[in-house]
Amino acid sequence: MMLFLQFLFAFGATAGFTLIFNIPRRHIFFAGFSGACGWVLFQYLFLTGQSIIISSFLASCLIAALSELFSRVFKEASLIFIIPGILPLVPGAGMYKTMLALLKEDLTATAQIGTETLLMTGAIAVAIIIVSSFVRAVTLLLTSDRLR
Amino acid sequence: MGTVTVNQIEKNVLMLALRAGEIMLMSGSEIYRVEDTVTRICKAYGIPYVEVFATTTGIFISLDSGGEGKPYTIIKRIRKVAIDLDRISLINDFSRKLSDDPVPISEAMSLLEQIAAKEKYTFPLQVLGGALVASFFTLMLGAGYREFLCSLAIGAGVYAFGHLLDSLQFHLFIRNFLACALIAFLAIICSTAGLASHTDAMIIGSLMIFLPGLAFTNAMRDSLSGDLLAGAARAMEAALTAISIASGVGVVIFIWVAAGGVL
Repeated sequence: MMLFLQFLFAFGATAGFTLIFNIPRRHIFFAGFSGACGWVLFQYLFLTGQSIIISSFLASCLIAALSELFSRVFKEASLIFIIPGILPLVPGAGMYKTMLALLKEDLTATAQIGTETLLMTGAIAVAIIIVSSFVRAVTLLLTSDRLR
Repeated sequence: MGTVTVNQIEKNVLMLALRAGEIMLMSGSEIYRVEDTVTRICKAYGIPYVEVFATTTGIFISLDSGGEGKPYTIIKRIRKVAIDLDRISLINDFSRKLSDDPVPISEAMSLLEQIAAKEKYTFPLQVLGGALVASFFTLMLGAGYREFLCSLAIGAGVYAFGHLLDSLQFHLFIRNFLACALIAFLAIICSTAGLASHTDAMIIGSLMIFLPGLAFTNAMRDSLSGDLLAGAARAMEAALTAISIASGVGVVIFIWVAAGGVL
């Protein structure tokens, strides 16, 4: 039940981004869907005791893979799905807490939370890179056309 | 006279390709997509030698149809970026259609201008987007319905404020700094007035609006396709944006705590 609510919340947040980034109306649902799926996977993995970094990594892989899939189905640029999709995973909370710890001059906490935030960001980056290079390789194998 | 006509066609193709590349870069496209699109447009009109070099801040196109005519080169500096993913996709599609069926250049140019002039979501809808992002992120962080409503208002207000700063031509980093300072200020006011209690959740939820998602994603995708210069520039943009957000919020919280307030 909690995960279902989280799905709805993440869907709403991602749908908000689609309005800001001017994503066509017909794709709002799918962009929201990939963002929400990624966020729920992240929550699920984190709750079942995986490290927060592995959770971010796997969730970003899912979002990137869904975005590549949708971009091919609808023949659109994959940016349309991936950018609103990964935003829920970007560690805004980590950034805020790092800044707060720095203001309290608690340098140990700053280093600890800051490193975790950086590693989460890195995990998202690596996930995007892995999925899109994999998809590019498969696309090149199947067609002579470059990545959409 | 023969060469003159040939060169005229080249020049028109160049202007068409340049305009397409310019619109894509101004909408926040990845570099490889811009370069592919420009090359595809030039090839569609039968120009054999095309070289494109694009970065986030400018585009260089050089083309030569061989034979007697002179090669053409043009440079365009890109200054204003306003994220518009729909236009990127439309121009990508436009260039594909063009390579299947090269319509006359003047017709292609007017199609391109139609895409460039295509309406975005209206301003109230964009504000709604900002409000949705802020409020739903607040919920995702475990806050209740009162924080949801406060963030809805903060998100809408701050998005509109950011838009106002944009129209006054504030630099991206200053805009984020000021907008995030406003977020922290409004969130503190909401909780001091007793409207909501999770100040943290409201601040984090609302600052998600300004997170550099596009710069971050494109930094990765650009570096991956070998456009290291653009990748590094975008990564820098993402890092500076994150710092400007954190310092905007930080300054307000610092003043608030120094003035004896409690978080």
